[in-house]
Amino acid sequence: MNLTQAFKMAFKSILSKKMRSLLTMLGIIIGIAAVMIIVSVINGANKKQMEYFESMGTNKITVYASLYNGQDAFNEVYTYCKGLDAVLGVTPNSYVDAVVKYDAKNSQHMEYSPQIYLGNDQYAMCNNFQIQKGRDISYLDIQNYNPVCVLGARAAKEFFDSANPIGKEMTFSGNTFTVIGVYREKDPTPQWSMDNIIVIPYTASRYLPSQGSMSEFTVKAKDSASIKPVISLLKGQFSGWDETGKGSFDCYSDQQWQDSSNQMALMMSLVLGAIAGISLLVGGIGIMNIMLVTVTERTREIGIRRAIGAERKSIVVQFLIEAAMICGMGGIIGIAIGFLGTAVTSKLIVQQVMLPSPIITISAFLFSVVLGILFGMFPAIKASKLQPVVALRAE
Amino acid sequence: MLIHLENIYKIYGEGMESEVRALDGVSLTIDRGEFVAIAGASGSGKSTMMNVLGCLDIPTHGSYWLDGQDVRELSDRQLSHIRNKQIGFIFQGYNLIPELTALENVELPLIYQGISPSKRQELAQQALERVGLGTRGDHRPSQMSGGQQQRVAIARAISTHPPIIMADEPTGALDSKTGLEVLTFLQQLNREGSTIILITHDNGIAATARRIVRVSDGKIIEDHVQEVDWL
Repeated sequence: MNLTQAFKMAFKSILSKKMRSLLTMLGIIIGIAAVMIIVSVINGANKKQMEYFESMGTNKITVYASLYNGQDAFNEVYTYCKGLDAVLGVTPNSYVDAVVKYDAKNSQHMEYSPQIYLGNDQYAMCNNFQIQKGRDISYLDIQNYNPVCVLGARAAKEFFDSANPIGKEMTFSGNTFTVIGVYREKDPTPQWSMDNIIVIPYTASRYLPSQGSMSEFTVKAKDSASIKPVISLLKGQFSGWDETGKGSFDCYSDQQWQDSSNQMALMMSLVLGAIAGISLLVGGIGIMNIMLVTVTERTREIGIRRAIGAERKSIVVQFLIEAAMICGMGGIIGIAIGFLGTAVTSKLIVQQVMLPSPIITISAFLFSVVLGILFGMFPAIKASKLQPVVALRAE
Repeated sequence: MLIHLENIYKIYGEGMESEVRALDGVSLTIDRGEFVAIAGASGSGKSTMMNVLGCLDIPTHGSYWLDGQDVRELSDRQLSHIRNKQIGFIFQGYNLIPELTALENVELPLIYQGISPSKRQELAQQALERVGLGTRGDHRPSQMSGGQQQRVAIARAISTHPPIIMADEPTGALDSKTGLEVLTFLQQLNREGSTIILITHDNGIAATARRIVRVSDGKIIEDHVQEVDWL
């Protein structure tokens, strides 16, 4: 029979029982909204996490190495890595504590005091920093123990605000360092910003009192495929230190963090999605239940339709459309709530308003319609199997 | 001959002790253009007969030829088509769909024929005008009197111009005046060529038919042509 007519009939029938239709839809509405919010927020948070990893610098290998004789292990690691094609750069990545002062500004009175890192001419490259103003630390700065420093964007703003810091002299625990450059901002969040740093040549740490042993280094591999081979080369070269009592050595890759973060997001999506899926299943069963009631209530109508010439197929189509329409409407309401919920939840969790992607939205709608057809199938077929004589006799 | 029943049985619970023979070996022939009243008390089997004749029910035994086709060999789908195209039903309780307007109710059989919306609206409107309800198309059944509802039901039955009209106690729920109007209308349809089968328990109503078939205990006990009270 005519599909337009069937849609019109279904719409009329749903409208004639607004309360019941809405209650029936509730399961679908909640299910769809929950799935959308969960998937969108987890996806969004994970994407943000990946961006964060990206800005920290990719393909990094963190090395912990120290020698028991008190000497720095860096030179040995540095020299070995220089000979590897798969390594782009090596830098110390330790930090030291010092009171930073400029003019009246004092790091002790700051809510978030900057971290002083010991670096070299490859520090920026390894950690994905770029010079915005001035110049970076050079090989000569290392060689000559130059008391110079490069500021992260956040640290520059804290101490100099909009003034140009290049050439200014700061004191770190009373020792004067000259600002030679500023890195470009890469992390706009104010707290714990990775831009809230000051990098000095690692050799210049001799001017600072709290000269802890420098034991953490960063090795930057050529690409993600090189990470594993480089790690095994490093381990092969240096893990003997532990056995011989020369020192200690360990290294791992940030790639693992990214992988496990990705995996965790996927796991969370699956688990929470499954829970939301159960609510959809319950919603679907609710649809089936109500459609069975509807079929029983409308037995006489089915009888009339069959008597005046409706085929079984027409009856099936009519009830399927009604079930699909209820679910589709529930889906649309659920999507609207899902958008709102995603915006609010993402604002709360990752401090940024995110919305579900078009793919998620379209799939959510299609899924709800398919759900209606699936769970409407049994009642619709039951309706079509009614004998016209029996159906006509119903009150 | 349009309709030919031969040795039709409708048996419920066949072979059991409690078996009920609603139709017990009925043979009947109805020609095109006849006006037949099937009369009988309640429980006589006349309603079962109407259901069998209207292809709403399948007889247990026997053969039923409708317009040269053996109905027992037809599929459910083909039976639906026969009900849709060959037969117009008028029921005692009107059997209109309450959610639909008068016009939409009359359109229903046309929808199942797959006729285009504009064409079927035109046909439905014509049918409503024939029963004198041309201006009531947008009314719902609940907004109409019993007589008007039955006229809508008649309009629905004739909207497809079927050769056979089956009326099951069409006046049962109406007062005598509106009941008379319905019978007059059936006679008029018959004069125009439709074959009318009227099922009733009321002898007075049966008297409006040219031929009367009396049923009792599932058997035909009387079948004769009579002088008609033309209304």
